[in-house]
Amino acid sequence: MARSMSKIRGAMVVLFLMSGTPDLLAGGPWTQPQGKGYFKLSEYWIVYDRHFTDVGLTDPNTTTGIFNTVLYGEFGLTDRWTAIVNFPFLSRNYMNNVVSGTTGEILVPGEAINTIGDTDIGVKYGLNKPGSAWPMALSLTLGLPLGNPSAGALENLQTGDGEFNQILQFDVGRSFRLGQKVNAYAAAHAAFNHRTNGYSEEIRMGLEAGANLMKSNLWLILRLANWESLKNGSTAESITSTSIFANNTEFTSFTLEAAYYVYRGWGLSAAFGGAFRGEIVAAAPSYQVGVFWDMNR
Amino acid sequence: MKYNILLILFCSLLLFAACIGDDVLDDAVDPVLRISNPIDSLELGSSYALMYNYFNNVGQPEIVDAVWSSSAPDIISINDQGLAEGLQLGSAQIELNYTPATGPPISTSLSIGVGENTVLSSGSRSGSIVSSSSYLLQGDFELLEVPGNALQLRFAENYAASTALPGLYVYLTNNPETNVGALEIGRVTVFSGAHDYSIADVGINEYGYVLFYCKPFNVKVGDGKINE
Repeated sequence: MARSMSKIRGAMVVLFLMSGTPDLLAGGPWTQPQGKGYFKLSEYWIVYDRHFTDVGLTDPNTTTGIFNTVLYGEFGLTDRWTAIVNFPFLSRNYMNNVVSGTTGEILVPGEAINTIGDTDIGVKYGLNKPGSAWPMALSLTLGLPLGNPSAGALENLQTGDGEFNQILQFDVGRSFRLGQKVNAYAAAHAAFNHRTNGYSEEIRMGLEAGANLMKSNLWLILRLANWESLKNGSTAESITSTSIFANNTEFTSFTLEAAYYVYRGWGLSAAFGGAFRGEIVAAAPSYQVGVFWDMNR
Repeated sequence: MKYNILLILFCSLLLFAACIGDDVLDDAVDPVLRISNPIDSLELGSSYALMYNYFNNVGQPEIVDAVWSSSAPDIISINDQGLAEGLQLGSAQIELNYTPATGPPISTSLSIGVGENTVLSSGSRSGSIVSSSSYLLQGDFELLEVPGNALQLRFAENYAASTALPGLYVYLTNNPETNVGALEIGRVTVFSGAHDYSIADVGINEYGYVLFYCKPFNVKVGDGKINE
């Protein structure tokens, strides 16, 4: 069971990358064994020319791209305490030129920035002993605003939101077998994100399930996430500055991921995500590819 | 070997670059001729110099040679420079025509009566703003001349706009598809109810639309044609 749990851990930590925003500790209730870890270098991207508006419909916008090169790590401080970091050490945000279809002139020049992005650090505590039938965990994540929230001539480029997240999350899960040979798991989480600088607080919920195939080398995972804004922050009506402020984001999304162990603990992963509905959020699929190292294998 | 393959694979990922491309905006509008200083009546025996502006197919001002004419030259005569003269009591239709190099001829007209006094046309125009997006935007407005070659843009009580956009701005423009070339009035700070904006050094006939635009993200939110 311990071996199958390490595989589960290794396969699940990509969730936050696919959401497009930090959801660091959504990787289930399983903690890393002491001295063991899981590390991943990945590229996440989304390019969108439509967005969900405040009434849930989609409207066009200037094509915008976000590319994050991310170093992610989990390390077991003890068997029940796991330290986690999510560091987008290269975050690129660009907007296209807007060109006149009549004259061919550039009406609004495109711009791009490349900086580090908002970074998450956190700890996860296993509420029951490793190997429990129904493992549960409590996590605290701090979202550090290391990115740039307003760059470019119009201050419309962002590699961060400029605010300090504090996310408290509860996870519960269960591993089981499908038939005689296939290891599988299911997990759920609920989290509360307290935000600063006038951003609305959020309630985040998620479900995920995974199955281990191809002689336990391949994990196929499906994730569902739902973020609800409490809409208790500032709006354009209540702020006096001209700062960019995309607040009250909500969405219900899915992510499909495949993670394959190529050699011992080394593997490749690829994922694809999209939203069923949203408010004030990009309306386009997101992608992620990466290389991981699972010390448990 | 496998490590090398992984390394090369990932390095290629790091080199994955997102380049700035082009979004093509359909910004074509119908060219317009607009008489900038219209009058309702002209004093018998006096003259008045009419002027005009031409806005091309992207709503930008352009100097062109339009042709003036009068439907009743015996009542009001007009020369090539737009100088109208009231010759006898009555009324006439003053026409202004221009034929661009491409596209159909463009014209506008003005009905002027000849009477005891020269009377300038009303110093107000009005319209209604309508959302062109799924963001809330609605309401009636009035554009008024105020002393000092200034205008007041006055929104009625039924005005309402979404507070969800981070940088909503209001403009006067001759091309409602873009804020490029538009006169920026200011950032929207009132999202419901009656309110107004003061605009200095602008003639009441210089612009054809009120435009609401999310400036930082280049998203048109809505507009309203300023009726004559």
